[in-house]
Amino acid sequence: MSKTITIDPVTRVEGHGRVTIHLDDEGNVDETYFHIVEFRGFERFIQGHPYWQAPNLVQRLCGICPVSHHLAAAKAIDQIVGIDPKDLSTGATKLRRLLHYAQIFQSHALHFFYLASPDLLFGVDAPPEKRNVVGVAVENRELAVKGITMRKFGQELIKALAGKKIHGTLAVPGGVYKSLKAEERDTFLNGKEFPDIDTMIKWSQEMVDFMKDYHTKNRVFLDTFAAFPSGHLGTVRTDGALELYDGKLRAIDSEGNITLPDVEPDDYLEYFSEAVAKWSYMKFPYLKSVGRKKGWNRVGPLARMNICDYISTPLAEKARREYFEFTGSSVNNSTMYSHWARLIETLHCAELMKELLLDPDILDENDLVREGNERNVGIGIIEAPRGTLTHHYEVDDKGMIVRCNLIVSTTHNNDAMNEAVKWVANNVISREKTITEGMLNQVEVAIRAYDPCLSCATQAMGKMPLKAELYDHEGTLIGEKTKN
Amino acid sequence: MGKHVNITIDGRNILADEGRNLVDVATENGFFIPSLCYFENIDPPLGTCRTCTCKINGKFTPACTEKVREGLAVEVNSAELKDMRKGIVEMMFAEGNHICPSCEKSGNCDLQHMGYELGIAISRFPHLFKNRLIDYGAKRMVMEHNRCIKCLRCVVEVENDDGKKVFSYQNRGNETHVGVDYEEEKKLTRDQAIQAMNICPTGAIIVRGESVGKPFGERKFDEDSIRPDYVKPVKSDNNIDLSNVEKKRVATVSLAGCFGCHMSMLDVDTEILDLVELITFDKSPLTDFKKFTQRCDVGIIEGSVCNEENVETLRTFREQCDLLVAVGECAIWGGLPSLRNTIPLGECLEEAFLNCVTNEQGNTTIPYHKHLPKMLDRIYECREVVKIDYFIPGCPPDAQHIWKAVKNLLWNENYSILYSEFKYD
Ligand code: SF4
Ligand code: SF4
Ligand code: FES
Repeated sequence: MSKTITIDPVTRVEGHGRVTIHLDDEGNVDETYFHIVEFRGFERFIQGHPYWQAPNLVQRLCGICPVSHHLAAAKAIDQIVGIDPKDLSTGATKLRRLLHYAQIFQSHALHFFYLASPDLLFGVDAPPEKRNVVGVAVENRELAVKGITMRKFGQELIKALAGKKIHGTLAVPGGVYKSLKAEERDTFLNGKEFPDIDTMIKWSQEMVDFMKDYHTKNRVFLDTFAAFPSGHLGTVRTDGALELYDGKLRAIDSEGNITLPDVEPDDYLEYFSEAVAKWSYMKFPYLKSVGRKKGWNRVGPLARMNICDYISTPLAEKARREYFEFTGSSVNNSTMYSHWARLIETLHCAELMKELLLDPDILDENDLVREGNERNVGIGIIEAPRGTLTHHYEVDDKGMIVRCNLIVSTTHNNDAMNEAVKWVANNVISREKTITEGMLNQVEVAIRAYDPCLSCATQAMGKMPLKAELYDHEGTLIGEKTKN
Repeated sequence: MGKHVNITIDGRNILADEGRNLVDVATENGFFIPSLCYFENIDPPLGTCRTCTCKINGKFTPACTEKVREGLAVEVNSAELKDMRKGIVEMMFAEGNHICPSCEKSGNCDLQHMGYELGIAISRFPHLFKNRLIDYGAKRMVMEHNRCIKCLRCVVEVENDDGKKVFSYQNRGNETHVGVDYEEEKKLTRDQAIQAMNICPTGAIIVRGESVGKPFGERKFDEDSIRPDYVKPVKSDNNIDLSNVEKKRVATVSLAGCFGCHMSMLDVDTEILDLVELITFDKSPLTDFKKFTQRCDVGIIEGSVCNEENVETLRTFREQCDLLVAVGECAIWGGLPSLRNTIPLGECLEEAFLNCVTNEQGNTTIPYHKHLPKMLDRIYECREVVKIDYFIPGCPPDAQHIWKAVKNLLWNENYSILYSEFKYD
């Protein structure tokens, strides 16, 4: 059957993300690349479809943060039916927010427990057999159960709101499908079927404490590993608080100077441009005003901690202050602090979920969908677990999508991940004649801190397969390593 | 009516009112005959879809066009007939671009429902991926020609207040499609338009603003089968002693998928901790094994095949695994990524890398590099590349569905997939 396939000359490659490291005469690192090898073409094939299909279609970009895509698209589609975020009913807004926080909560839990914790618990040089959630479960079953249960809590809440844990539907143009029923809400408060929201807050707090403790013991590693200056981008509330659902875009440079001053998401086109490199299917967004070289930004937990003035929920705010006591400045440019920042956000989302679960507005069945005057352009920006996510649609007068532009979170981190790879290459691999398994894992550890969701741009996960190659100055392959 | 007649269905004697429709009589007596074009008040029945084909007095005949009369001998449940009816519905799926996850009718769609009732996980026919029009010309509705099964219901049923038909057949044979008379359509009231949408057994007729029906779980065909003989749940899922079984090796991979299927596997939550007592994960994005460390019992494949690297990976999986399970719509028939199959690859690349509104002015290029795998001309379903042993539909499939099937394949554990666990979206 494979005979029917048209393939250009096959080059042997493995996995979805790929790193190549090129050395010069002296064995110094010349070039490094983090190649994104997958391309799907959503921007094109969504054209011709009715706009109202977008929130359901595009969430299939990603099975890890489908809610973010669903909601970013929904926010854009709201505008197409003439509804700006402020025009949405209170109930609809709160239900969408609750869905969003549940999603960030589960996604952060997934990343920490299933993907990142093995490196932190066992060290970057641990044998590969150990470096997975099974290893964590064997070593520390209680921790594994907590992690899995935290993710479950988020997933169950998503299911209650959207009908399904993955690729459910809550948002419709101008509102939401449905509200929560009191009995459904109660499942999350009474702890009968699974641990309740208070337990989630408690466990999230424990994870933050775990990280604080880890920090005390591994300060040098956290401070220095893959640390480099960069800009940071995210959204904030008008009062500067961290805002994950509907904020203004703010960016700062590596020293904290404002490079994007709390602008309206709708104006993103004025500020952002994307570069293309021939060696990757993932683009490189940057701030036009700063330029290609320095205008790229990190996004996600680390960036959000850096750009916000404070966090609106008390426990997370306290955790944020402690975090900055250690970092010693207002901007933290150390890749590994992403893990800590992610756990603070996990706590924040747990607190926010509790606030909303106790809010009677989420039970209100009235006024779920609103109508306005149709427009031709819709832009939705949201803070996905991995960072700022932009969906932009243009439709004709008949409701057909004629243009779509997506800038997914991981794309913003493209430069940062390449920078992180370069750091490990320069500091760990440079001048070495043999590459060890541990060195290669460090390349991954650096990338992994960004929790890249290549599903969005490709379809791999945090621990995507990697293949590292060593080239001499003439470009001849002198060493190659895939990890087993 | 009034007169009783004797007929037999699968050898059983049944007393029925003369002249009644055979499908109705069979259903009332506990025999399931799938039907699609057959619709409440359309008389005479259309007989266009052939989904209800049975053997009537020894001849293959659509049951919906048959009236009950003395001595009728009907065969419904022979293996041959069941397979034939299944094949007919599979053909409809292969013929159109039925991407259930994006369809407004999903959960309320008769075609999808028949797929569930017949247990269709895959079509035996290749998908055509025709690029059909989505017609935005009408006032109240959008006509999605990719989803039309040409049942004729709308053509015969839908009229406006002037008594004028709104839909008509155009062209012939393979090229037949349903045309909308825009002028007459304009005169439909909103309720009439919604009625037309409901008459359509698929999502071909979509009324603007009515684009989304009900939430998951509350849709027409979400929870229970209409078949009296639909598999009942097996009492216990753990009907073999798993503590005594041999540990097995499982590999997983995500090709061109969204990782939702992998996420769904994790949605068994803490049950995964019990599973890992019985299963060792080999090559998988969930572990750090980049290559197979040894031969595996089962390989779980998510996603379709979109580049040469996927082809190679899939072939390696075939070589290294005793059984391959395709999980999810992408792996089974292309899913969402296959939307690209109706569009030239070049256009997709140009849109993303050359025409995109945020791209740098004058500094655009389509990536092309020795470290980027070559893309395929279109998205391929996994079984076009290698033999696949088992298919689990859904986007993503239900977590329980995946693990029940895998446990059955590994240890022959008995299971039944609940109707509510078997979905395409
Ligand atoms: S549009 Fe719907 S009702 Fe009309 S012929 Fe097609 S499938 Fe049948
Ligand atoms: S079938 Fe659905 S959930 Fe699975 S990979 Fe494809 S889009 Fe994602
Ligand atoms: S239902 Fe009988 S031919 Fe369609």
